[in-house]
Amino acid sequence: MRTGFLRAVSLALMLSLPAAAGAQFGHPMKGQWSGEWGSKSNPSRLLLDLDWDGKDISGVINPGPTAATVKSVAFDYTNPSAWGVKIQAEGKDASGKPVAISIDGKLENIGAYTKLFHGTWTQGGRKGDFTVTRN
Amino acid sequence: MEKSLRTALLGATAVAVFSSSVWVLGAQQGAAQEGAAPGAGQGQGRGRGRGAAPSLPTPRLPDGTVNLGRVPGEKGVWGVPYITNMAMQVIGPDGQPVPEIVKLRQDQAAARAGGAGARGGGGGGRGRGGSKSEPWMPWMPWSAAVYDYHSLNESKYDPEGYCLPPGGPRMMATPYQAEILQQPEHKRVIMIFEGATHIWREIYMDGRKFPEGDQLNPTYLGYSVGRWEGDTLVVENKGFNENSWLDYFGHPHTDKMHVTERWTRPNKQTLHYEATVNDPGAYTKPFTMAWDIPWREGAELPEYICQENNRYLNRLEDDLGQPIFGPRPQPGVKPASGTR
Repeated sequence: MRTGFLRAVSLALMLSLPAAAGAQFGHPMKGQWSGEWGSKSNPSRLLLDLDWDGKDISGVINPGPTAATVKSVAFDYTNPSAWGVKIQAEGKDASGKPVAISIDGKLENIGAYTKLFHGTWTQGGRKGDFTVTRN
Repeated sequence: MEKSLRTALLGATAVAVFSSSVWVLGAQQGAAQEGAAPGAGQGQGRGRGRGAAPSLPTPRLPDGTVNLGRVPGEKGVWGVPYITNMAMQVIGPDGQPVPEIVKLRQDQAAARAGGAGARGGGGGGRGRGGSKSEPWMPWMPWSAAVYDYHSLNESKYDPEGYCLPPGGPRMMATPYQAEILQQPEHKRVIMIFEGATHIWREIYMDGRKFPEGDQLNPTYLGYSVGRWEGDTLVVENKGFNENSWLDYFGHPHTDKMHVTERWTRPNKQTLHYEATVNDPGAYTKPFTMAWDIPWREGAELPEYICQENNRYLNRLEDDLGQPIFGPRPQPGVKPASGTR
């Protein structure tokens, strides 16, 4: 009885605290983002690790052997609640050939802990939708 | 035993889930500050100019150092004012409010006299003017856009509303009482705050240098190193995390922020505070803000717990309709409004 109650309370605490722990109110693009792109039947996992140095956004897409380096990021602040974001990156495919990545999306939920970045992902000859949320 | 344990755990759960009614109060009082004068030693801030009590001499410690706290045998605390928009406290090199603020205040006063509502920088509540109403602020495009976002949603996501600590100068702009305890024998100054999640600051006065690299662990209040320049306590602060806003209106900052604080006590009843914010991650150049803090003679620090009975977050949803705290819905399933 008591064990079950303790588990329920612990679960409630665990579910409620991570949002506060993940608070970040600096540049909204800074941080780690995870999600997917491509078709629903065959999605590709994404991890974006982005930083803000006061002048530019830099970072890496999918750190590891096939990592892509962010080359440029452009923002459109016309709508304060949904920024337009375009990212150009360069990486390599599984065979080691250079591949260009073009990301055209919107950044939403800017003030909340769970920021959302979604839009169109173009990589080599493939094109699809992507969605990542800030970790 | 089980009952008491259950009660304690329920209390802990409430602390974690419920947020601050102060946030709601803050939202309501956002407009209340619109007429607050920049504190530049002009004796116009909240709590100043009341009555005609003569200024009493600045108290000093036995070694002649200015005493920023109580005189032995007396009681008293500092009544920290409510500064909701720090941009309205910006001063120029002469220590006076920048001309744009002076004109804005004149326009607002004229508008009020004419029955119109005030807008623009410093305007509270609905109709906040966003970054364009504060052209004296050295915005970067992103910081202006973030500020506009917070203006549009009326500071819905203010982290202090979630009972998270304020960062940097906001410590001295959160409207609860505070004490300053000087410990020259320990080469430190301690500041304790009733509000802002019941926190304290330690300012190292031993001449140390800032930790470097990963040793400077980013925190809400940063790392504080102080020194005396004559009768002025000068405190350098670095090592802030990015989990806070500069103020209720939502001026953002980054972890690159360096804050220089200057404290003087021109008389017993007044603490004059200046803060220069140098954040090359969010603003194109430094800016300085100032205000006065009145002495509350005879007062003591009461207990205040931000998290207690704080129900605001229980129904707060983000821009996508998801609960800010608590269990998140499954992907693609929007929670039914009012079910939480």
